[in-house]
Amino acid sequence: MIWKLSLTGIKNRFKDYTVLFSGLVVANMIFYMFLTIAINPAFIKNDIQTSTSYVQFTFGFGIVLLVIISMIYLVYANSFLLSMRKHDYGMYMMLGAKSSKIGVLIFLETLITGILATSAGIILGFGLTTVVAKLLIDKLGLTVTHFSPILPNAVLWTLIFFTLMFLFGALKNARKLVRTPVISLLKDEQKPAEMSHKTGLRSVEAIAGLVLLAIGYYTLSLPAAMILIIIPVALVTIVAGSYFTFNSFFSALIGFLLKRKDFSYRGIRVFTLGQLKFRIHDYTKILTIISLLFALALGAITVGLNFSTLKDQATASTYYDTTIVSSSSAVQEAKKQLHIKHEQTYHYKENKKYLYFKRAEFSTNPVKNNEFYVKNDTPAYKTVNLKIADLAKQGTTANNALNSMLPAKHHKPIRLVSQQKWAGLKGDKQFVTLLTVKNFQQDYPILLKIEKQQLEESKNYANVYQSSKAGAYQLVMNFSSGFEFMGFFLGFAFLTMLASTLMFKILTGAASDKIRYQMLFEMGTRMSVLRNSIKNEIGILFILPGILGVIDVLFGLQMFRVFLPAPYHNLWIPFTIFIILYVLYYLITVKLYEKIVLKSDTVLNKGE
Amino acid sequence: MTEILRVEQVTKTYGKRGEKQYQALKGINFTVNSGEYVAIMGASGSGKTTLLNILSTLDKPTSGHVFINHEDNSTLNANQLADFRSKQIGFIFQDFNLLENLTNRENIALPLSLRGISTKRIDPLIDRIAGRLGIEQILAKYPAEVSGGQKQRVAAARALVHEPAILLADEPTGALDSKSARELLDTMEDLNQNDGITTLMVTHDPFAASFASRILFIKDGKIGKQMLKNELSRQEFYHLLIDHLDTDE
Repeated sequence: MIWKLSLTGIKNRFKDYTVLFSGLVVANMIFYMFLTIAINPAFIKNDIQTSTSYVQFTFGFGIVLLVIISMIYLVYANSFLLSMRKHDYGMYMMLGAKSSKIGVLIFLETLITGILATSAGIILGFGLTTVVAKLLIDKLGLTVTHFSPILPNAVLWTLIFFTLMFLFGALKNARKLVRTPVISLLKDEQKPAEMSHKTGLRSVEAIAGLVLLAIGYYTLSLPAAMILIIIPVALVTIVAGSYFTFNSFFSALIGFLLKRKDFSYRGIRVFTLGQLKFRIHDYTKILTIISLLFALALGAITVGLNFSTLKDQATASTYYDTTIVSSSSAVQEAKKQLHIKHEQTYHYKENKKYLYFKRAEFSTNPVKNNEFYVKNDTPAYKTVNLKIADLAKQGTTANNALNSMLPAKHHKPIRLVSQQKWAGLKGDKQFVTLLTVKNFQQDYPILLKIEKQQLEESKNYANVYQSSKAGAYQLVMNFSSGFEFMGFFLGFAFLTMLASTLMFKILTGAASDKIRYQMLFEMGTRMSVLRNSIKNEIGILFILPGILGVIDVLFGLQMFRVFLPAPYHNLWIPFTIFIILYVLYYLITVKLYEKIVLKSDTVLNKGE
Repeated sequence: MTEILRVEQVTKTYGKRGEKQYQALKGINFTVNSGEYVAIMGASGSGKTTLLNILSTLDKPTSGHVFINHEDNSTLNANQLADFRSKQIGFIFQDFNLLENLTNRENIALPLSLRGISTKRIDPLIDRIAGRLGIEQILAKYPAEVSGGQKQRVAAARALVHEPAILLADEPTGALDSKSARELLDTMEDLNQNDGITTLMVTHDPFAASFASRILFIKDGKIGKQMLKNELSRQEFYHLLIDHLDTDE
């Protein structure tokens, strides 16, 4: 009988269950997706070409973070489940069901929900991983070869982790339900929220929060050599600072707004502010965690994306897009496919001692070179013409630059001669063609093919290939795409989980808010006004940790100055992605919350 | 005397057509004039909650009309109904229905700010009604910090601060101890007699009902008898009421 009742209970709250279930499935999918890269040795070894120990550390760190966020997430999801069922189970107990039986019921319900969600999550995870990986690989032009959406190890570990987590969650729910007095199960929603009103201590805490945050942000700007001090100090001050700020500063701010009556006495602002004041206090821990996770997620994507700026760096240091020295048909055919912007050819004769160039060719078409300099502490390049007078002088910049464009194992001294003298000289007749194309990224595959072909034809070309644009581009791309890939994966994983954690926390409180909205409605508040109040309230709960997280990232990126040329470059890309995803979660939360609180037997739902 | 409330042939049927239907109200008719204090008495299941929901525009009648201040609220859309409630009706509920996240002052301010009253005028209006109800000292406190009787006074202040056409009270003493209940009923009587506040109270408690000047009895979805206080004292009216209830059983 009691089983039948329990199933009916689930049926009645099917919508809420759908929310919970889909949230759990998403968590599973993401966890699985991350594992497919994090514990895929072939991917790490081949697609992220950098020192293995560093990468293992990075992924290890990633897994630890993901486990922590998943745990927090599951705690909130489980308490959401319990909050949905509390009233029903309280009722059964009141009617005489044994508490041990109810305990078993909630235990099995939690566990079965969890196992079903895990299975569904893994299966959907195959699909999601395939789609996301393909999307990322295509969009970013990554070269990822050792990535497979189905990885048995990842399946196994996802299963183990989530089953264990749900087992603990089920035990916890069962204990909590059995130990709570029946009366609180039934009447919990009507219990007033408690909150201390000590303002003195509050203001000290509020100021301390801001000061700690300031110290944390300052620490992040210290020179990178002090990394051993920076990390622990920043961690402690920012965590504590965020906590105090949420606990006191924001409540103080809302208290201030409440007292400004020309602001608060408009519409139901006073209600919205009152809700927020209690909410933020109640949410201190979760808002702190979310702001930090938000920073980590955003940081992961930003830093991941930033590795691609190394690609730009690689292309910026070389002026010509390729160097052609071979007249073979393979090379010349490939050359025809290029969209050439400018082409210049120099002819020379090589004998045992010297390379003889025609001086006139340099006068009509000077060789250009990108010179490195430092502008406002960031590396930059400017294009200059190589000085003709210096070309033949060994050791000069011009001479070195020209040598790097010529194929040779050992460079012979260069001589510039007149046209007539050149005609009379003996030696192998050779040429070097320097090209620029209209769009490097577009022609990159052909450029790389031309250079590889020439390398195959002559080992001497290795010298040119080493400093060629396409060669450098390929090297950096291999190295950076792995990081980019990981940054995106981690970023998405964190963001989706933290946003849905916040969503569950808000929805868990929705049941007790229902009565308040009903009351306001009865007093004659228009539905549109109630909806706006909900939008504002939830919006602020989303925005506050978001803002703090963004500030954390903006300061935190300074730590990456050491190995990224411009950590703040193209910042709008990750920020835009984040804002879109975050807004999406916000809208879903608002909709679900509205469904819970604006539901009534009276005319509430009969439209406006 | 002007008419404040007119209820005409109101019926309410639950259940869809073709299914088993239940008629909660079977043609209710009555009027309430300005300055009257009317109690509607009935046992559980008599239809008094349904009637109150319809009077307060929270529910719509299946047929019939309700006029408050000569306005037929069956013609109003949801927004107009909300505005109508915020302007014409003051509520007092059995379980106070105060927002515990707001101070008592902020609770009382809500109906005013909802109606867009200028922010400067709000506090003086609150102070005036608080003085009238003797709750000036607890305005800065939260509802959880005051007694049940005080909570109901705050609720009354909130119901009256915007000067509605009619005060609807749903078992207002239901959650109070006898002393607080008595105090609240005295206050409501005082407000009715001295401030002319039109009051409609729904109750099953004869003691509470005896404070009204007229009592309507609702039974099985119909208004049966009505009793008038006329020149009787409250005690006499109470005894008459008890006698009536005894003989009616």
